[in-house]
This record gives sequence, C-alpha cells and structure tokens, in this order.
Amino acid sequence: MKDIDETITRRDFFSLVGWGGIAATFGGSAYSFYKFYFPNVLYETQKVFKIGKPSDYPEGLSEKWKKERQVWVVRNERGIYVMISICRHLGCTPNWFQDKQAFLCPCHGSIFSIEGNVLGGPSPRLLWRAAIKIDPTDGQIVVDFNHRQDPDPVSTEQGLRVDEASREVEPFFLNV
Amino acid sequence: MASGKSDKITEWIKSTQVYKAVFRHGYEDTPRNRSLTTFSNVLYHLHPVKTRWESIRFRYTWCMGGVSLLLFVMLALTGVMLMFYYVPDVRRAYQDIKDMMTVVSYGTTFRNIHRFAAQGMVATVWIHMTRVFLTGSYKSPREFNWVIGVVLLMLTLLLSWTGYLLPWDQLALWAITVGTKMAAATPLFGVEGPFGTQLGMRPDNDVKFMLLGGTEVGQNALLRFYVLHCVVLPMLVVLFLAVHFWRVRKDGFSGPL
Repeated sequence: MKDIDETITRRDFFSLVGWGGIAATFGGSAYSFYKFYFPNVLYETQKVFKIGKPSDYPEGLSEKWKKERQVWVVRNERGIYVMISICRHLGCTPNWFQDKQAFLCPCHGSIFSIEGNVLGGPSPRLLWRAAIKIDPTDGQIVVDFNHRQDPDPVSTEQGLRVDEASREVEPFFLNV
Repeated sequence: MASGKSDKITEWIKSTQVYKAVFRHGYEDTPRNRSLTTFSNVLYHLHPVKTRWESIRFRYTWCMGGVSLLLFVMLALTGVMLMFYYVPDVRRAYQDIKDMMTVVSYGTTFRNIHRFAAQGMVATVWIHMTRVFLTGSYKSPREFNWVIGVVLLMLTLLLSWTGYLLPWDQLALWAITVGTKMAAATPLFGVEGPFGTQLGMRPDNDVKFMLLGGTEVGQNALLRFYVLHCVVLPMLVVLFLAVHFWRVRKDGFSGPL
C-alpha cells in the first residue's frame, strides 16, 4: 500500500479516470457497432428441427429430408445417424446411388460411402454427421443442423476413413 | 507513474518506421514546422493555412456549419448501417424497421441516431444560414457561396423528406401523398399547375408521375425514394459541400470587422 501512495498522485488518478472514461466510451460504441451486425432473429429455415420417430426409418438410407433440410437419415444394424448432404470438397450436394451403394458428388467426382468415408475424388474430409436426440415429450428425433461431428480421418488404400465405433457416439448416434 | 519505462516505450514507438511514415514532423514550434504540418498533413490541408482569430470565435459562428457537417457524416455512417437490415420492398419495409427497433442489437440506438441527427441537421443548417444572413456574411465576395448554401439547404430538406417515406407507415405514406400532390401543381410540368394541361400533362406523364414511378404511392415510389435518399441526394450533397468548403477557403472566413 505504501508503494501506491507514493506512485499514484491525485493528478494521475483523475487522469486515469478521465482517460478510462473515454476508453470505455469508445470501447462501448465499438462493441455496439460490432454487435449490430449479428442478427438476433433470422428469417430462414429452422436449423433445429424434428424428423419423426425412429420407427419411421427402416434399415438403409432415407432421402426424405434431403430437399427440405439437406440431410440424409441412415439406419444400420446398431442404430440411427443423420448425415448432412454437403460435399466436403466445395459444398455441392452429392447424390445417393442405390446400385453403387455410394454418394457421388456431381461436380468434381467425390465418392463417399454410406458411413460418410471418402472412397475417392478430391474431398479432403468425411461427410458431416449432425447432432440428434429424442424429444422426451413426443418421441421424435430432433436434429441440430449446426452441431456437426467432424473426426480426423486416417488415409488408407481405400480412401479417407474413420473407425465406425468411434463415430457412433452421442450426440451423433441413437441406439434405437 | 513509472515514468521511466513509459518514456522508453514512447521513445521506441516514435522511432519506428510506421510512426515516422504517419507523423512526419516533430512538435518543434517553429514557423517553418507549423507550415510544413499544414502543407503535408491530409487533415490539416483541408483547413486554410491562416485563419483570423476573430472569425473562429465561438460566439460569432456558433459552430453551426461544422455541426451540420458532423451530423451529415454521422448520418452517412448510420445510414449505411441501417441499409444492412432494411429492404425497400412494400411487403418488408415496415417490418424491417420494426425488427430494427425491437430485435436487432443496438438497432434502436442507430436508427434513432439517424432520425435525430437528420432533424438536428435541418435545424443547424437553418441556424447556420440565419447567422450568415444576420452577420452579412453572404455579401461580396461570398455571394456564390451563399447560393451553394441555399442549394445545400434544399438538398438537406429533400433528404429529410425522402427518408420520411422509407418506414412505410401511415405517417410516411400520407406525407409523400401530400408532397407529391404539391409536385403535381408545378407550373408547366405538373398536371394541376398553370399551363400544365395546355402542354399536354396528364396524371400519367407529368412530374409527379416521374417522381412516384406511377400514379399512386406504391412499390415504385418506395424504390425511387430509397435510391434518391441513399445514393443520388447524398452524392449531390458531398459534391456541393466540396465546392462550399473550397469557396470558404478561397474567399476567406468572414468575421466581425
């Protein structure tokens, strides 16, 4: 305390308060300028939405929500996951080919497996999976489009892939 | 307060090339250095090299010209900000303003700054001109600049009026209805004006029609007023302001004799 008494004079104190006030004013207005550009209300499709009950989806891939919500719903022998239909190369929309059992991107030829692994083409990452959960009130699956699983893939001879067991975890997989 | 260390930091900042490139002259108070500061600094270059002390006395000008400019700059900045949320579409315009006033962060603040600065600018321009008139500052050699000033007054009023329509509420709609009805009474070019009908003016080809882009206040009118308010009139104001300030420098400030 003795040090402070010796080093901070009354003049220094008022100068600090004055400049502090000016800095606070400029800082506050800079913050308001910044905050203004982040809309609080959006007029676009919902990014958190319901896609029906798990029993609506038999084993295999469903393209029911691809046009409206840009997602595929997949059920394998263990459960359900929701994959986002955005190619990780340049953001185009791949198509599902039942006969080839693969997603083919029409733009630059990226090939993805039904798990989302890269089988070929320029894509540097796996397809995203969206977070899902069961709504306790009506039992429907709730998809959060903005919460995405993006694991680091390993390069193999077959392409980029990730161990499936490590991907089938909450909240990106439902054991139902 | 630990002056030794901060002095060293200041010294180091002043020795960097960035600092020297921006601030080219020191503070040595010599006549040569003062002239150099004025001649080579962008901000100071806008000012005349010499100004008579009496002519910048606060109680002579009341700073009304400068405050008008300040308000115009504020209006330009906040106006661009509002453009990020406003769409000149009759189905959206009112809702966009309402959103701005309720859900956009600090939207109320920036919209109100824009509104109140606009009303303030109309007032300060009037007071500025009243002062110029009462002190006789419009007389030779400043007649030309008085005319420029009158043009700027007109542009200020037109900016205020064209901005009025944009919220697309009842107040706006009827204000523009009244305003453009007056345009219809323009001599020669308006359908209701003297010699209008004789010159072949009809409700669908006169000056009111051109202003509204139609025969009633609708989508075309909203778009036209938006473009006038955000692009055409501000550009004209900047142009005339440049001439206005240039004439002030050339004719010299007026001041009490």
